[in-house]
Amino acid sequence: MTGTVRMLLRRGGLYMLLVALAALFLLPLLWLLLIALKGPGELLRFPPKVLPDRARWENFGEALTYVDFLGYARNSVILAVTYGLLVTFSSALVGFALARLPAPGKRVVFGILISTLMIPPIITLIPTYLIYSRLGLLNTYWPWVLSGLAGSSFLAFLFRQFFAGLPKELEDAAIVDGCGYFRVFWQIFLPVSKPVLATSFVLSFVWTWGDWVMPALLLNDDRSTLAVAVGSLYASDHTGPQYHLIAAAAVMYSMPVLVLFIALQRLFIRGIATTGLR
Amino acid sequence: MTLATAKRPAGAAATPTAAAPQRRWRRHRPRTFYSFAAPWLIGFALLTLFPLAYAFWLSFTNYDGLAPKWGYVGVQNYERALADPKTWSSLARTLVFVFLLVPATVGFGLFLAVLVNQRLPGRGAFRAIFFLPVVVPVVAAGFVFRMLFDRDTGATAAVLGWFGLGPVEWLADDKALIVMLLMILWRVGSSMVISLAALQGVPQELLDAAAVDGAGSWRTFFRVTVPIMSPVLFFQVVNGAIDTLQIYLPALLLSAAGQARLDTVPGEGLYIYMVHVYTQAFAKGDLGYASALLWLLTAITLIYTALVFRFSRRFVYYEAGPSDEEGRR
Repeated sequence: MTGTVRMLLRRGGLYMLLVALAALFLLPLLWLLLIALKGPGELLRFPPKVLPDRARWENFGEALTYVDFLGYARNSVILAVTYGLLVTFSSALVGFALARLPAPGKRVVFGILISTLMIPPIITLIPTYLIYSRLGLLNTYWPWVLSGLAGSSFLAFLFRQFFAGLPKELEDAAIVDGCGYFRVFWQIFLPVSKPVLATSFVLSFVWTWGDWVMPALLLNDDRSTLAVAVGSLYASDHTGPQYHLIAAAAVMYSMPVLVLFIALQRLFIRGIATTGLR
Repeated sequence: MTLATAKRPAGAAATPTAAAPQRRWRRHRPRTFYSFAAPWLIGFALLTLFPLAYAFWLSFTNYDGLAPKWGYVGVQNYERALADPKTWSSLARTLVFVFLLVPATVGFGLFLAVLVNQRLPGRGAFRAIFFLPVVVPVVAAGFVFRMLFDRDTGATAAVLGWFGLGPVEWLADDKALIVMLLMILWRVGSSMVISLAALQGVPQELLDAAAVDGAGSWRTFFRVTVPIMSPVLFFQVVNGAIDTLQIYLPALLLSAAGQARLDTVPGEGLYIYMVHVYTQAFAKGDLGYASALLWLLTAITLIYTALVFRFSRRFVYYEAGPSDEEGRR
């Protein structure tokens, strides 16, 4: 009897802790939504009021037209899809090679791959900018195509781990039949890797969608992405930043990736748990 | 070669014996490996190695992106970097940030992982909620933390007001570092997920054995679970430190919500090392000097990584995959 009571108390305490923490984690998103529903005057009021006088849903409409929101959204989608598809394919190729194809120097290649996990792209930012500038590729989408083709060490590692876990019998029969390795990869390995392919695509889509530095550096404001629009363009010299519109735009900008996450949670979590990616 | 082989339909092997294609394959495998790895290898050479080398060369020049006449100036940029008090103060601030953020993230991530690993109805929902901020784009996160901690109109000002406390200037001085810490700690979900996977990999027999031996749940956790997870925790600390050294964008977004530009210079409280680098590069156009600063950080990172690898041979990395020998068959 006392054991049951203790267990219930423990469970109750645990729930209270979890609910409190969950509230804390959701608070910033809630605050964002509240700002998005306030008027510009309300945001300057001191002391601040938590709830808006009335919910101004029209802020969302205004945020769509203050800058060309849909145009920026289109650019973001183009870049994220292009990069996501290319990087998934290239990374799967090298992941397959590392998992299945023996070769002299493979250890070195794998070592390099692992160490590039430790060189975040921000360190090569300045020279990368200068190189693209010399090549005349500023204000084009080529940098995303090229870095997509180059693959990602994180995703290559993800694929390598997945392919290495598949049974050897998978390709043996095909090899005896004289089937080429590219065909083995394309017709045998890729079809059984749909979850990892999806993980890779979704993760790279979300990175590109969220990236501010590269578009800010490489694209002019009018050809840039939603990240730059939300981060930099809802402001004018007269009025300063339009906080209520930024908030409304930020809600709309975050929504697609949040929905994607809620729909495809498992893909995200597996990808991150495997690669140790932040 | 690989592509040519691939075009041949399966089963239509022109070779007389079954053993022949196998031999052919073995012979061509190194080339096959390198053709599969080619996109990544070329990308690594052109988009990582070459830019690093280019930055290295620039760090010995006075290039500013504009002046037509520029050239080699020797180690002048490095001397200047070492003599610049801002280099040292920003590096110190960054290191303080690393020492605060990394243990906080790994510890809190482990704590959350243990919580959501309990057998409770609805734990899936809690996992999702704790992970959700990782997916929120950093621009939106930076904006909302800027607004939460606004001196007069932020949510924190409202809460302080309920207790009769006056407004706090969160974002002006060193307190801004706390705001940035909370902003990044909000994304602890990825650490939670990594620790959760490790937690679920702890063999149940060991936990049972500890229970049979009369160890309480705390003791079991610290004496059995944590040691078994230690490679994963260690990996997080190592990687977390490197990632944290490179933090740049959150500082920029917190100091200029809604009008962030690459040439924005955050205030003293958020003046971390990467901010120092990009201030030189984009606000002052001093690309040679900025490259030298970048290379100093790269050198620190490389030395740190080399030391860590040396002292951790028995840890992680290859744990989840097959050994190389197995892959070679």
